[in-house]
Amino acid sequence: MKLLLIEDEKALATSIQNYFQRENFICEWVADYESAIDKINIYKYDCVLVDIMLPDGDGLDAVRELKKKSPETGIIIISAKNSLDDRIEGLNLGSDDYLTKPFHLSELNARVQAVIRRRSFQGNQQIRFGKINIEPQEHFVAVDGQEIILTRKEYDLLIYLIANKNRVLTKESIAEHLWGDDADLMDNFDFIYTHIKNLRKKLMDKGCPDYLRSIYGVGYKFSEQ
Amino acid sequence: MKLLLQILRYQLVTSMIVLFLGAGLFYVSVRYLIDREANKELFQSQVKVRWQLKHLETLPVYILQLGDSLQIQPVRYPGHMLLRETSMLNLAENQYQPYRQLIFYERALGQWYRITISKLLLQRQRLLETVVMTITFIVALLLVSMLLLNSWLSTRLWKPFYKTLGKLDAYQIQHHETLEFEREETLEFDQLNQAVTHLTQRVTSAYQNLKEFTENAAHEIQTPLAVILSKIEGLFQDETLTESQLVTLSSVSEAANRLGRLNQALLLLTKIENRQFLAGTDPVNLVPIINGKLRDLEDLIVQRKIGIQTELDPIGLVIHPALAEILVNNLLTNAIRHNVENGKIIITLQQGKFCVKNTGKALNLNPEQLFERFRKESTSSASLGLGLALVKTICEVNGQKLTYDIDNEWHILTVSW
Repeated sequence: MKLLLIEDEKALATSIQNYFQRENFICEWVADYESAIDKINIYKYDCVLVDIMLPDGDGLDAVRELKKKSPETGIIIISAKNSLDDRIEGLNLGSDDYLTKPFHLSELNARVQAVIRRRSFQGNQQIRFGKINIEPQEHFVAVDGQEIILTRKEYDLLIYLIANKNRVLTKESIAEHLWGDDADLMDNFDFIYTHIKNLRKKLMDKGCPDYLRSIYGVGYKFSEQ
Repeated sequence: MKLLLQILRYQLVTSMIVLFLGAGLFYVSVRYLIDREANKELFQSQVKVRWQLKHLETLPVYILQLGDSLQIQPVRYPGHMLLRETSMLNLAENQYQPYRQLIFYERALGQWYRITISKLLLQRQRLLETVVMTITFIVALLLVSMLLLNSWLSTRLWKPFYKTLGKLDAYQIQHHETLEFEREETLEFDQLNQAVTHLTQRVTSAYQNLKEFTENAAHEIQTPLAVILSKIEGLFQDETLTESQLVTLSSVSEAANRLGRLNQALLLLTKIENRQFLAGTDPVNLVPIINGKLRDLEDLIVQRKIGIQTELDPIGLVIHPALAEILVNNLLTNAIRHNVENGKIIITLQQGKFCVKNTGKALNLNPEQLFERFRKESTSSASLGLGLALVKTICEVNGQKLTYDIDNEWHILTVSW
């Protein structure tokens, strides 16, 4: 998978690049509008991450240019602006998602994977992890071919865990992924624990090994070891 | 009261006073002239009468008896000459009329005579009538002409003013427009229009600056926060960290997260206060928003075993849809956060009223402080303390009223419009 990151803040760009490189993605980075346009004109990407505010131009123009050059590329806008107008304009221009800074890298990762999955028309939209098999279009989850009925939140949680496999996930990032702006309603994170417990039980009941490891004081890690 | 009507009032009062004073002056001066003329004539007659009396012996007596206007009476002693006014019966018209009389004494043939010359002052009587009539006519004419002038003025001369007023009335700062006007002939209106144009230019640029500042502040703070969070997340993946280091890192991450949310909530609050959300034009039906939100919060409601009871009429208030979402969201989350285990929430939506009732612990703070920013019941809660402040601001900006009541264990928040 090939990503292009258009972001003027070097420190943030490096973190994002490192994160995706660990996922075995090729992540190229440009810091300004000019070089972004150059890259878009020469190469093809699976997904482009655009910061709207660039030192020498408007990121939305880059989105327009990209839509013209290669309409099949997924686009995620990352912006410090949470203004409704920009959000609506960005989505109207054909970007797939809009993420407001600050965000969790694990959240960005999950969204990038979702965009790429939606955009791959080769039919290979299945998600596989160990014994788990998911067909996202039908919200179908199976372990060793046996279907598991999950609630909406449990399903979202599973997708998020698999997208960020082999990584430590903080409780806040999980809470924010599942409840969005309502995450601060959780006075403690017992709540996530309930969902994790239920999900783990449903998976293990069907003979799935326990992939989920709890990291004391931080959160969880989903991995095959 | 209309400005023109007020001006008209003063104009009328002033012109009445001036007219009546003028009429009085006119009357006095004309009367003085008439009196002077009458006196002159009387003195001329006196000269004639004197001459005639000097030649009394050669003249027939009847000449001297001229009825009312000239009377000669023999008297024993002479008196002072007297010029006076009196009222006498005019036989010709059979009514009392004013006369001017000159009485003097003259000696003829050794006998003193008192001679009275009278002059009818008919002109003067006519004068009063004429003056009153003329003044009445002028007043009536003035009134009519002023009314006509005013209505003409208000439709013609004041037209640019009403045009400016209409434009100002329809002015909406969110549209970033400056009001431009055509040149007017009337200097004052032209100045007014220029002043309005300059004012709107300044206001628009100030508004633009403020908006840009808020947006920039968001950008400038959010970006470093994003850097902090991403670096922390990177660190979490480091397998060599000890447990205590991870715990410390985790609290740093929590604080940074909180800062981010706080910044966003404050920005939102500022935006609403700056009225950067356009005013709603159509009523927004709150029912789907409420139901959607309840679905989102389902887990929480079930976990805390809260019973929800709804009574919703499909109506809503005129508001920006995004603000409606925030309003409903904050009221419902507030009702859940401050609820007790096995508690209850009753949501009612009726014409003009949206009411959220929830069971909860007794309030430690003054109900009036409830809507203040950063007012929280417990410092440990994850709440930012901005939820109700946001609801309050939304209501203020939109012209709704937010009230809080407490009824035993029930806390009742009502939005009325």
